[in-house]
Amino acid sequence: MTSSKLVSHLLAAMLGAVAVACSVPSSGARFDEQTPDSAGFPPVASMLVQACGTLDCHGTIGRNLRLYGDTGLRYSPTDVPSTLVPTTADEVTQDYESVVGLEPEITSEVVAAGGANPERLTFYRKALGLENHKGGAVVVHGDPRDVCITTWLQGHADASACTAALTLP
Amino acid sequence: MRRLLSLLVALGTASAVGSCDPVRDDAISALGGEAPGVPPGPLHRPGQPCLLCHDGSAGDASALSIAGTVFSGGNTLEPSVGATVTLQSADGTKVTATTNAAGNFYLTPDTYAPKYPIRVISIVQGGASVTMHSHIGGNGSCAACHTDPPGPASPGHVYFSNSGISP
Repeated sequence: MTSSKLVSHLLAAMLGAVAVACSVPSSGARFDEQTPDSAGFPPVASMLVQACGTLDCHGTIGRNLRLYGDTGLRYSPTDVPSTLVPTTADEVTQDYESVVGLEPEITSEVVAAGGANPERLTFYRKALGLENHKGGAVVVHGDPRDVCITTWLQGHADASACTAALTLP
Repeated sequence: MRRLLSLLVALGTASAVGSCDPVRDDAISALGGEAPGVPPGPLHRPGQPCLLCHDGSAGDASALSIAGTVFSGGNTLEPSVGATVTLQSADGTKVTATTNAAGNFYLTPDTYAPKYPIRVISIVQGGASVTMHSHIGGNGSCAACHTDPPGPASPGHVYFSNSGISP
């Protein structure tokens, strides 16, 4: 191959790569998110804050799963942890956005499937200890925390299970 | 051969002395030096995150599993001396430590290797007792979370209060 041919091949390859790299999705490409029930989330938030949201775990600003709540990180700059100021509506909203925003596509798939196979979600696998998790297995299949999360993903959060979960160590 | 030996010695020394974690190094530097007249030991650095240094890393200070400081009030840095701190691991194991003249208490891994989460069952002094609302998820330094001033990310330093309000 002559050097001019080699150069032209290289240029063609580079142009092709640039074309692929700079391509944009079509205007019709949309992701229709199906989110878990937000109305039923407050008891789930209480459970998550108690089980996962301490200041040395997910009650930390740098976490992907960032949880705000009464005994952990506070959302309002004037609130302080553990001062008996209950978890606020803003904090519940932030917690909801945090959980739902972790893996929106997969969460949407789980919700669309009526909560089937929640193990698809990383946060659930981590909670079960199926995936590396510094906090270890904080949820056991069938325990109140598990029921709280899975029923929420199914669209009918079991508030009594979420409340019972607050008594777990 | 001699050069190789020197290189190996230098590498060994560097790995023994140096830390490979610049974040940790920066956090330790930010603590500043020792207080005048207080040598390194059980009474030093009250209110600081003990396990930042006492983490068992090679060449570091002796390892601690749980450590912290109890102060006598929310608005003072006077130590709470002789307070008993009772902790309970996730496996139900309970242990008690007593604060010293600086308000510091600590447990070593050979006496207490906790299974997280840990609960602070009580801090008792003079017959009065306070507890902690949340558990400890994984950091054995009280001051990792209990920093001053209190704010959205910290309840402030740990203190004993006759009102029974948690530290």
